[in-house]
Amino acid sequence: MLKINDIHKSFGNNEILKGVDLSIDKGDVVVILGPSGSGKTTLLRCINFLEKADSGQAGFGDLKVNLHGASKRDIHTIRQKTAFVFQNYNLFNNKTALENVTEGLIVGRRVPKADAIGIGKKALDKVGLSDKYDSYPSQLSGGQQQRVGIARAVALNPDIILFDEPTSALDPELVGEVLTVMKNIAKEGTTMLVVTHEMSFAKDVANRVIFMDGGVVVEEGSPHDIFVSPKEERTKKFLKRVLPEDYTFYI
Amino acid sequence: MEKYFDVSYIWSSLPILLPFLKVTFMVAGLSIIFGTFLGLILAVMKLGKNKIAQKTAHFYTTILRCTPSIVLLFLVYYGVPALADNFGLYLHDLNTAVFVVITFTLQFAAIMSEVIRSAFDSIEKGQFEAAVSVGLSPFQAYRRIIFPQALVVALPNFGNGLIALLQEGSLAYTIGLIDIVGKANLIIAANYNTHALEIFIALAIVYWVISILIEKFFGKLEKVFSKGKQTINTN
Amino acid sequence: MSEGLNYTFLIDTFFIALSGVPITLLVTIVALLIALPLGFLLALTRINQVPVLNWFSRIYVSFVRGTPIIIQIFIVYASVPLILSLFFEKYNININVYNINPIWYAFIVFSFSTTAILIEVFRSALSTVNKGQLEAAQSVGLSNFQAYRRIVIPQALVVALPNICTATVNLIKATSLGYAMSLQEITLKAKVAANVGYNYVEAYIDIFLVYIILCSLVEYGFKIYEKRLRRYKYVSA
Repeated sequence: MLKINDIHKSFGNNEILKGVDLSIDKGDVVVILGPSGSGKTTLLRCINFLEKADSGQAGFGDLKVNLHGASKRDIHTIRQKTAFVFQNYNLFNNKTALENVTEGLIVGRRVPKADAIGIGKKALDKVGLSDKYDSYPSQLSGGQQQRVGIARAVALNPDIILFDEPTSALDPELVGEVLTVMKNIAKEGTTMLVVTHEMSFAKDVANRVIFMDGGVVVEEGSPHDIFVSPKEERTKKFLKRVLPEDYTFYI
Repeated sequence: MEKYFDVSYIWSSLPILLPFLKVTFMVAGLSIIFGTFLGLILAVMKLGKNKIAQKTAHFYTTILRCTPSIVLLFLVYYGVPALADNFGLYLHDLNTAVFVVITFTLQFAAIMSEVIRSAFDSIEKGQFEAAVSVGLSPFQAYRRIIFPQALVVALPNFGNGLIALLQEGSLAYTIGLIDIVGKANLIIAANYNTHALEIFIALAIVYWVISILIEKFFGKLEKVFSKGKQTINTN
Repeated sequence: MSEGLNYTFLIDTFFIALSGVPITLLVTIVALLIALPLGFLLALTRINQVPVLNWFSRIYVSFVRGTPIIIQIFIVYASVPLILSLFFEKYNININVYNINPIWYAFIVFSFSTTAILIEVFRSALSTVNKGQLEAAQSVGLSNFQAYRRIVIPQALVVALPNICTATVNLIKATSLGYAMSLQEITLKAKVAANVGYNYVEAYIDIFLVYIILCSLVEYGFKIYEKRLRRYKYVSA
């Protein structure tokens, strides 16, 4: 459903992405792991045109676009098919939780207001925020804000949701509530591409794990492949560093 | 020469002075309208990607920030007609109010361009990214998400800019505009320079009250517009 | 006038305008020397809510911010001789108030207005320094005075510096109103030179240039000083 070919991106002299390929099918939950600076976030942002790639192609079903020189219309179309969950939530500060969720529906997609509000409330119910419709972001905790962020993405009913380190700005005790919500929407068959450092999420929820380092995909496979029998030296080194010594997998 | 301070002069001069606020406000109002418009253009230049436009706009602001109002006022008053001579235009008889409006338009534009620029800069980039990621067009993102937030940030600074403009405008009398300050000087001259202090105190009171009113008004306005800025209500 | 600019006059008058710079700077520096400590002390009365002084500072600041400087100048220039002559008469001091050098009035007016501006600058800067900093300093045994001098003020200064710079530039610009007190500064000197041959355009171009040079130098100086303060901050962090 989503195919990325040979994507390159540099910031100044610093080449962040050195030709990455990616393919995601409907219903996939793909987790990208890797040390910081490996290009995971940049990859995600290029897919949604938040950064302009230097070169590369994207295929979205029948739609084929050049990631460097896409037309405004194509960019708009792809953004309509995707949704993005940000590391620091980026809720609209001047809108209530419900307005945050309905904004894209009403303004971006011209869904009638009454319908949008229905969809929005349902999305907020799903993330456990039925009592926070009218709260402004400043009145919500970090975990609640990120759940609104996820509801905002889910409400759009996109083909795929891109998660950019959704829990890394949260206090440890708030990470759980967000991961639970993510697990639930994964179970419903939502296609997800997730950049995260949460190994347990990768292990329990993903059906495919990609390990990136130095701007390239080093290795990819099922969680079992990656965590239990990694082939590449760099993958092993990374896992050894991030996982406790006696960490064992039961898959 | 009678030297004693007489409070009654303050109260008796107020009714004579106040009608001339009309001139003060008219000149200020026009400068605000034109200055805001020019300031918006400068702010767009500063926020845009074109390096030359950026540099030009910043250069303009720096120069204006370094120029005393009275110097700018006279530079415009003498300079604009002299410049126009070169094009065969005779502007020496132009109403002084025009020169005042030109001067304070130029000055207010510099202030406003900074107010607008800093307001937009204060909105995190993520707000725009989130807006386009849920399918808003860049224009919609600006209009519905960025602009309302920037407005709240800009309001108090806009209010301060108004107060500054009004105060700098008090110098217009130096080129002969009969606004409230000009009228005050006429009254003093008619009194053979006696009781000048009382008249000046009356002027100070008028300006002070107006400034406080503007401040209060913008304080109220800010509260009305600052949606989403409330702190947590515990009930 | 249509014969264009008189370049000889333009150049000559530039140096006349330049000769006003020492007076402008003198007034600026004296006003700052008075306003900086006084503004800081009064800012402390605002922060610590000292009963009467707190109210006095508030009204004082509100007045200065609410009225044009030219009117403050008018008031001081009209009231101080009045008060002084009453005073001199009473004690039989034989000084003619109208012979006092206008620079004294300039000192009074510009110290008066700059102090009020700096009260606000220091107040907001001090309020950005975390209260915990003061408490921590006291907890390790520093006196209140020591805590302010060694811990709070250095931090507040970094925050206040850009605003002090703005206040200084505004002060320099405001001294151009010294003409109302016959102060022999940049603007008045060049203007008087222009009176002879009506070369006002040239004179004001010169004045304009001198202020731009002066203010740019001041801004540049502050920027360098700020960088030094900040570098110290990072190195020690």
